[in-house]
Amino acid sequence: MADQGNRSLLQFAPFQSAVDEGFWHRLSSLKLNKLGIDDSPIPITGFYAPCSHSQVSNHLTLLAESLPDELSEQSTLTVASLGNRNRCSVPGILYNTNTVENFYSLDKMSLLKEEAKKIWEDIHTGKAMEDSSVLSRFLLISFADLKKWTFHYWFAFPALLLDPPATLVDLRPALQYFSTEEAESVSEACNAWRNSSSTADIPFFLISVDANSNATIKNLKDWETCQGDSNKLFFGFYDPCHLPNNPGWPLRNFLALICSRWNLNSVRFLCYRENRGFADLGSSLVGETLIAVSQGWNDRQCVPNAVGWELNKGRKMPRCISLARSMDPTRLAISAA
Amino acid sequence: MVLSQKLHEAFKGTVERITGPRTVSAFKEKGVLSVSEFITAGDNLVSKCPTWSWESGEPSKRKPYLPTEKQYLITRNVPCLRRAASVEEEYEAAGGEVLLDDEDNDGWLATHGKPKEGKSEEDENLPSMENLEISKNKAVKLTPSYFGGDDDEDIPDMADYEDHDNVIESDPATLQPTYLVAHEPDDDNILRTRTYDVSITYDKYYQTPRVWLTGYDESRMLLQPELVLEDVSQDHAHKTVTIEDHPHLPGKHASVHPCRHGAVMKKIIDVLMSRGVEPEVDKYLFLFLKFVASVIPTIEYDYTMDFDLGSSSN
Repeated sequence: MADQGNRSLLQFAPFQSAVDEGFWHRLSSLKLNKLGIDDSPIPITGFYAPCSHSQVSNHLTLLAESLPDELSEQSTLTVASLGNRNRCSVPGILYNTNTVENFYSLDKMSLLKEEAKKIWEDIHTGKAMEDSSVLSRFLLISFADLKKWTFHYWFAFPALLLDPPATLVDLRPALQYFSTEEAESVSEACNAWRNSSSTADIPFFLISVDANSNATIKNLKDWETCQGDSNKLFFGFYDPCHLPNNPGWPLRNFLALICSRWNLNSVRFLCYRENRGFADLGSSLVGETLIAVSQGWNDRQCVPNAVGWELNKGRKMPRCISLARSMDPTRLAISAA
Repeated sequence: MVLSQKLHEAFKGTVERITGPRTVSAFKEKGVLSVSEFITAGDNLVSKCPTWSWESGEPSKRKPYLPTEKQYLITRNVPCLRRAASVEEEYEAAGGEVLLDDEDNDGWLATHGKPKEGKSEEDENLPSMENLEISKNKAVKLTPSYFGGDDDEDIPDMADYEDHDNVIESDPATLQPTYLVAHEPDDDNILRTRTYDVSITYDKYYQTPRVWLTGYDESRMLLQPELVLEDVSQDHAHKTVTIEDHPHLPGKHASVHPCRHGAVMKKIIDVLMSRGVEPEVDKYLFLFLKFVASVIPTIEYDYTMDFDLGSSSN
């Protein structure tokens, strides 16, 4: 414990949001044609993928398909729009208010807590082991001004805080961490995982590397079966972040799960990143972190503190987009004349 | 939109409605694709360059002649680190190019400081088969690129709504917001990065693929299509690149107009064949994207060219 003070904190790069124009178009028609003044929360689906370029991070993206279709009762997420390696789905919830005043008076603190509680529950019930995407659950609040075709919105990516925070022992490119043989085998296993339609959109997984440098990837629920052997075990996740010295946001709730379920103190993780769609161990990171949470942190009844409201250009404020140019019928008529 | 363009759009729409899609291959003869060849070439692109994927788009805009789950191809979040417009300006300043002042005042640029005479239209549309090298480490001109522009009156001053009640807790484990910028490894300048969603649709009238660009500024806010033109080679901005309705997505998007695509592809195919390479139709999109790179040189989408383009005849 003596050297704890010298060790740096593990710092995570926040998730970034991106909203496709199609999302706002569908929200508008949903609001006008179906929802009316009903402002109850709407389950939505976000999409993300591992970082695929060394200079830009990937985002949590909302598309038209993120919203339920106004005509059909079931969601439009058919086979055609699901299970795509470039769009791993993440559950989210949308609070769309009827007035701008309601938007600004939403209790952001308690909304965030509510979502954090769902994540905490999913960790404790084991649901997060079956469907790991719930670990990246997100929240969106919005106000759609359909008279001016302007949308005010604010994302939150709830992250459960470890108390005290995890400290960093080692973090370096996977290529430096692994031997040549190991790196080759890890790449191969990751590419196979990403190319199989049954696993391509599962963002959290285990990588087991045996004494002969053979890597295999397993589902989280197979953790117990990995305990008997002497293989090196890594907790892998699709990392949307491109930064060379920081893991991305999804690792936060993953560490909370690892700490809560398996009570591990030392965790080896792999931030999985790609280049042009293939495993890139030069930009992927392997890290080792120490977790020493206080007694009582893992109490199911007591949800850890959470953070995660997205900043707008570094400031605590919502975003706003005007789509009058593509939605306002009078302007469309003028530009078409 | 100019009237002639509108008339043409109306004509094109009518022809598309009354004629069936191409079913007979004319890939080598005309440089065009049938619907099934488009699917074959798209499948090959998706398997070789997995950042591309098929999507089904808006249900109301689906084309009956394409499979539901394979309506168009898209690659998202493609970085565009510099403006094509400013790259060209710098190149020109360095004496690399001479402005050709012709009678039509078209302002075509001649490369390498040697104005060529009798430069035909085909030559201008024909890309160089060599890699487009863009000089690095030059100062980057930052262009303000927020969405809004002339719609400013609609956007409230968001600073009024800045949260002062500290509902957002400070957390030492959150990396502070330099995350909005990309770092270029061998450059101390911090770059702000635009990104693009690049999509490829099948144009039934021209029987060729067609490229569409949706731009986002450095904080992932939608770019106005007019600002997208800064990332288009200035030879093509407002000429071959136009702003139109996307066939599968809502809104106006910038698109490389496909009227010359067939002819250009035919030229590329002829060049390959003259070198003894027999082009295969499933490689069409790689050749096509290589050609498109001459129009949008700074948008770094994926079109791996490290493999054989066709079976060699010898």
